Amino acid sequence: MTKKVLIGLGNLLMTDEGIGVRIIQELVRTHRISSDIEALDLGPGGLPVLHALDGVEHAIFVDCAFMGEEPGTLKRFRAEEAQTVKVQARQSAHEGDLFETLELAKRVGQCPSDIVVFGIQPGVVELGVDLSPTLEEQLPAYVDAVAAELNCAD
Amino acid sequence: MSKTVDIKVHHVTRVEGHGNIRVRAKDGAIEKLEWQVPEAPRFFEAMVRGRKYEDIQTIVSRICGICSVTHSLAAIKAIERAMDTPVTDQTDRLRILAHYGEQLESHILHVGYLVAPDLLGQKSVVPVASSHPEVVQTVITLHRLGNTMMEVLTGRKTHPVRLVPGGFSMLPSAKELRALKQELVDSVPKLTALAEVIASLAGGIPSFTRETEYVALVNEPHYPFYHGQVGSTDISELASVQDFEDIVNEYVIPQSTAKWAKWHREAYMVGSLARFNLNAEFLAPLAKQTAAMLGLEKGCYNPYMNSVVQVVESVQVVERSIELIDEILTVGLRVERPDVKIRAGVGAAAVEAPRGILFHRYEFDDKGECVSANMTIPTNQNHGNIQKDFEALVPTIIDRPQDEIRQVMEMLVRAYDPCISCSTHYLDVEFV
Repeated sequence: MTKKVLIGLGNLLMTDEGIGVRIIQELVRTHRISSDIEALDLGPGGLPVLHALDGVEHAIFVDCAFMGEEPGTLKRFRAEEAQTVKVQARQSAHEGDLFETLELAKRVGQCPSDIVVFGIQPGVVELGVDLSPTLEEQLPAYVDAVAAELNCAD
Repeated sequence: MSKTVDIKVHHVTRVEGHGNIRVRAKDGAIEKLEWQVPEAPRFFEAMVRGRKYEDIQTIVSRICGICSVTHSLAAIKAIERAMDTPVTDQTDRLRILAHYGEQLESHILHVGYLVAPDLLGQKSVVPVASSHPEVVQTVITLHRLGNTMMEVLTGRKTHPVRLVPGGFSMLPSAKELRALKQELVDSVPKLTALAEVIASLAGGIPSFTRETEYVALVNEPHYPFYHGQVGSTDISELASVQDFEDIVNEYVIPQSTAKWAKWHREAYMVGSLARFNLNAEFLAPLAKQTAAMLGLEKGCYNPYMNSVVQVVESVQVVERSIELIDEILTVGLRVERPDVKIRAGVGAAAVEAPRGILFHRYEFDDKGECVSANMTIPTNQNHGNIQKDFEALVPTIIDRPQDEIRQVMEMLVRAYDPCISCSTHYLDVEFV
């Protein structure tokens, strides 16, 4: 059973919102990832995240995050160091909040003890297939930061 | 005593996409009553223009994190129509199986995440996990099964990669299909248990009814999700998918930036209830039995029951998936190479998304590059019907406390299982 997962979240059709998925795609293309780590692109997330956490001890998430920082800023933090302030309309099953999923995972007893989040402050979140220039420029640096966390080779 | 109702459910989220509910009434007289959809204009059509035919399904699969198989299949069917590409029975069966996985996953998510908390008087699924852990565990297990089906069939849990024009880029193994069949068989008692829970909570479902036009695929003698022509409860003949723009008749109105739709009346409904009202007699035996247990009969005009039909359809897709795997394994899996002969052409397709009929149309030039595209998603087809439901519903409850009116209206919106296309999942955090 895999004990470590790396999960990229986001929607590639929503510009910077897709940064988590873009980083995973780049990382898998440019680095050798150790066989004990499962790297997953889970798109907009939700319950598939919960399934991916089953039996996992260490989870690393990469996601677009509004953190009150300058666009393009990458912050590495542990899940317990942040709390969600996301407003959800609760009209559809399509919206989601990773922190809510983690709370659910806790309540059903399948939440890893060790959760690290790489949040990237977006510049633009609107319909479009390209990252904003600010994030596109820094994509290699984001990939390196996540790779360093995994100790993986180029 | 004079009583004023003033409801403004306005979701100030960082990314628009949800509807606003607006009610203003004085002494029972309604002055304003609107379902407003300030969805940002969609540019999916522009995103695929100039792309090669084989890239389309990958791009459109990202339109929605929940209906990604449906979007891929609608695109692939339309491309195959445009390029006159036949597919084998094996491809057909495997695609339907993948599509059933998505129906199961989406329906269970909707019923478990949005409907059950409403019926249990909770704000979200999180507290339900503590008050009714067995219900949430059942929801998680069944949802995971839908995920597994998509992974086995399409190579990924979300956003399929093996579904391609002409067939599959890689097939599942017989061993994987046998294991999947066993999981499906094992899930039946859990589905029955979930149906019983919903039946026990059915008293909390508002008893509102309003007959409307119901529109869905029809493909006798099957209960259709993937094949068929377009049926309506207002007409006896079926309409061709190739003329779908004449069905949806999209139009714009000031209260919404999303386009609305109408066919034979001022609005119509798509989704599980529409499929049921057009095709209930073709349900498989256990699904039929579940419908009866849940008190559903063809000609149900209560839109809140859409969520209850989703439970019936979850049983339906599991029952049919077990049979389909048997059929596939009996014939034996054959290696088939997708074979598309590029040509200029135009084609449309319809596939039932979990939340209703989805239409795609593409036109290609002789290099196989997309020159134009058009999509009509189910949620946009339902907006007009939600407004008409509000107009019939609210006068009957206007004397109730304001919070209760708001709750009943929000539950109605949720019952339609709306799709916020191009859904997002960004974090919004503060550090502690």
